[in-house]
Amino acid sequence: MLKDLKRVRNIGISAHIDSGKTTLTERILFYTNRIHQIHEVKGKDGAGAVMDSMELERERGITIASAATHCEWNKNDINIIDTPGHVDFTVEVERSLRVLDGVILVLCSVSGVQSQSITVDQQMKRYQVPCIAFVNKCDRSGANPYRVAKQLRDKLGHNSVLMQIPIGLEDKLKGVVDLVSMKALYFEGDNGENVIVKEIPNELKDEAAEKREEMIDAVSMYSDELTEAILEEKEITEAMVVDAIRRGTIAREMTPVFLGSAYKNTAVQPLLDAVIKFLPAPIDINNEAIDHDNNGESVTLTSDFDKPTVALAFKLEDGQYGQLTYIRVYQGGLKKGDTIINSRDGKKVKVGRLIRMHAAEMEDIDEIPAGHIGAMFGIDCASGDTFVSPGINYSMIAMHVMEPVISLSINPVDNKSQINMSKALNRFTKEDPTFRTYVDKETNETIIQGMGELHLEVYVERMKREYKAEVITGQPRVAYRETITQKAEFNYTHKKQTGGAGQFGRVSGFVEPFDGEFEFVNKVTGGRIPTNYIPACEKGFAGCMEKGPKLEFPITGVRVTLMDGAYHAVDSSDMAFQAAARGGFLEGYLKAKPVIHEPIMKVVIETPNEFQGSCMGLINQRRGIILGSQEEGVMSVIESQVPLSEMFGFSTILRSATQGKAQFTMEFSSYKQVPQSVADAIIKAKEEDKKKK
Amino acid sequence: MLRKDLIQKSPVVQIIGNDYMEKGQFAAVISRAGVGKTQFLVQIAISWLLEGKKVIHISLYDTIDKINLRYKEGYTNLIDSVGYIDPQKASRLWDDLAPCKFGITCHENTFSPKNIRDYLVSLRKNSLEMPSMIVVDGLDFDRDCSVVLDKLLELASEFSLAIWFSMKSHREEAFTDKGFPIQLDKVQDRFAKAIYLQPKEDKIEVVILKDGEKVNERHLIEPATMMLA
Repeated sequence: MLKDLKRVRNIGISAHIDSGKTTLTERILFYTNRIHQIHEVKGKDGAGAVMDSMELERERGITIASAATHCEWNKNDINIIDTPGHVDFTVEVERSLRVLDGVILVLCSVSGVQSQSITVDQQMKRYQVPCIAFVNKCDRSGANPYRVAKQLRDKLGHNSVLMQIPIGLEDKLKGVVDLVSMKALYFEGDNGENVIVKEIPNELKDEAAEKREEMIDAVSMYSDELTEAILEEKEITEAMVVDAIRRGTIAREMTPVFLGSAYKNTAVQPLLDAVIKFLPAPIDINNEAIDHDNNGESVTLTSDFDKPTVALAFKLEDGQYGQLTYIRVYQGGLKKGDTIINSRDGKKVKVGRLIRMHAAEMEDIDEIPAGHIGAMFGIDCASGDTFVSPGINYSMIAMHVMEPVISLSINPVDNKSQINMSKALNRFTKEDPTFRTYVDKETNETIIQGMGELHLEVYVERMKREYKAEVITGQPRVAYRETITQKAEFNYTHKKQTGGAGQFGRVSGFVEPFDGEFEFVNKVTGGRIPTNYIPACEKGFAGCMEKGPKLEFPITGVRVTLMDGAYHAVDSSDMAFQAAARGGFLEGYLKAKPVIHEPIMKVVIETPNEFQGSCMGLINQRRGIILGSQEEGVMSVIESQVPLSEMFGFSTILRSATQGKAQFTMEFSSYKQVPQSVADAIIKAKEEDKKKK
Repeated sequence: MLRKDLIQKSPVVQIIGNDYMEKGQFAAVISRAGVGKTQFLVQIAISWLLEGKKVIHISLYDTIDKINLRYKEGYTNLIDSVGYIDPQKASRLWDDLAPCKFGITCHENTFSPKNIRDYLVSLRKNSLEMPSMIVVDGLDFDRDCSVVLDKLLELASEFSLAIWFSMKSHREEAFTDKGFPIQLDKVQDRFAKAIYLQPKEDKIEVVILKDGEKVNERHLIEPATMMLA
């Protein structure tokens, strides 16, 4: 592996579903001689794209797991993470962004900036990842890269600057004009592998000159040298412009926009040049870790090979040789035979086999130096764990993980499936922090939780295919929550005398709405409740939060303040005060006007204009609120908020209402109170459920 | 209570009264570019929202975010004009009002009353609450828009809607003999109400051009907030 970190790029490719990320990655691997044949995503040849190594991914034409792969371009090392485009899998995107230094944001030249691009953009902002944009599919009818560049400005607030202009568009796309070198680039050969540099065609000369001027004007902001050259009318060299663009891009102040068509093998090589020229190397990026030995102070990591090792496990995969852990090394280096410590649990582990991945194929290596991405075998850990050299106790800043909003019961069909299912669940929960599982104490059913219907569906499918675990799934259930809406007092005495030592404890205070999950405030004075019983009271109150007394949904947003109480020298105990706290909570809770909260999803529908009205109608029927509807060319984009409980089976309904021409994306937005009429229906359904049991 | 206070303070209610326009009718806010037609329309829509009615705001040039921002700004100006209001109460009321309006952005040449009709039909079919008012902002009255107006009029009477338009006049054009800007004059028989905005020193003068007995009434409003001066 290259130790000259100026020549290393760790990049991701992210975008809206179906923008052509996987196709683009495939072409990049082809041009960098990593693969010798091109397969299509939903290929007729049955081979599928190399990056989509999971069988399920190839079948559905979507990329689920982010496969990390390595390639070389003009003596530079590029590590690529192919990220999934579907919103249900955004935790994968988040994880990838955490370990990347730069991103290629792929946009469709017809659809432009779509809802998922907005989500990805927010994530890039969160992790401060610089990006360049690639306007793909310029060969499709309706392609308009200028509109997409404008949308980048208007919708995402990027300072987008065109670096190229197309030579022809739609089915007449022949190549691109590079505005930095002012040359026309054509791509010849069976797979566009020969880049032919020519003079700009006469009919495009004026436009190219005009756009170059706009570009130079925009990038001169980031280089004094360039500004000086413009003012003094000196010659503007290519190096000056490249340097200015690089500075602007790394500072996240501008987004250079490239165009082409991965499918038609047009202008992928210039994009690779741009990755090297404009995206940051590991040494250009400031990475921080938390030092647990120093009160959680943050420390800056340097890509120094001689310093103690700090590495982050960002993805797990179950390969044929055991668990494969993808890892990014931030400082020091990982060598075969090294001893490292998992800072989460302090366990020492020995580094065994180290490999560099190329989608499903692997290459053995001896070392992963700082700044590189690789993978290791045979280490038991969870995704997001930090590995460090002995002597330091750092952990990388925790990733932003969302709470699951939907659950599903699963029952194995036979004993063999039962064993395989638990193996699978164990693996999945380690791989994906948004996928959770537990056993319902009352029904003894295994419940899985996740971020959406498709998210859970994919895991159930993977259980079947990869682990041979056949399961029967129940109806998906929404993760409702309960909370209170007003302050209410309680004064409860727990008293039992059944022979022998009795039980006695009295608690009094109040419950009130609270912004966080739960808070306990102790204001008991004068030893009315001895301090050794206070933790028991807190435990009693906190225990009640698991299940609401009425509907048995988890409770959130309650602050309990304990004001007063009483005890008995002989009969009081921890048990008695816990019971008293439970009684007190119940008393206060029911008086505090409890309500049900439900997850509200942000639903974005993209539909041809003629179905705009009926799509808006569909939202209204589902208790949805339309935030707005915007026309973009021949399509309308309707943004809305809809309760998750109303969204089951929506894709089928939307397809039939729009002749299959509309598509939608959905992501969690917030929890909101359920209207009374719906709450009544939920209560009724819950009661019927209970009766059945 | 807050709703009532705000309705009373609303410049629109003070100028044109709160006998809201009969359904199935057209009204227009006219001025030359940049005087404040859209923001005045937003105040009109907010007064309807405060009455518990639903509003659709169709803009031919603003993005959805901008429309939402205009409403938020209009609401904040109204709140500020009342004096001190508990910010929590104000924000709770806004949470109630915001879902009752929604914006549609479309291009002038693709603006189609049919889409609005489809939407309204689906609402009626499912017995859901119907909007009472539509704001159409940005229609070019310099061109012949009688076809669109006819369709909208049908829509207005079929679904009992009031439709408010913005109408751009031009600085160099004089009023017609009837005392209307040219743009209104061509279509004035379809409009029940018309309000003209013009800059006057550092204020905006609101002149009622058409509204029964109120014709020729004049009021001054603050350009920054659209509240009565």
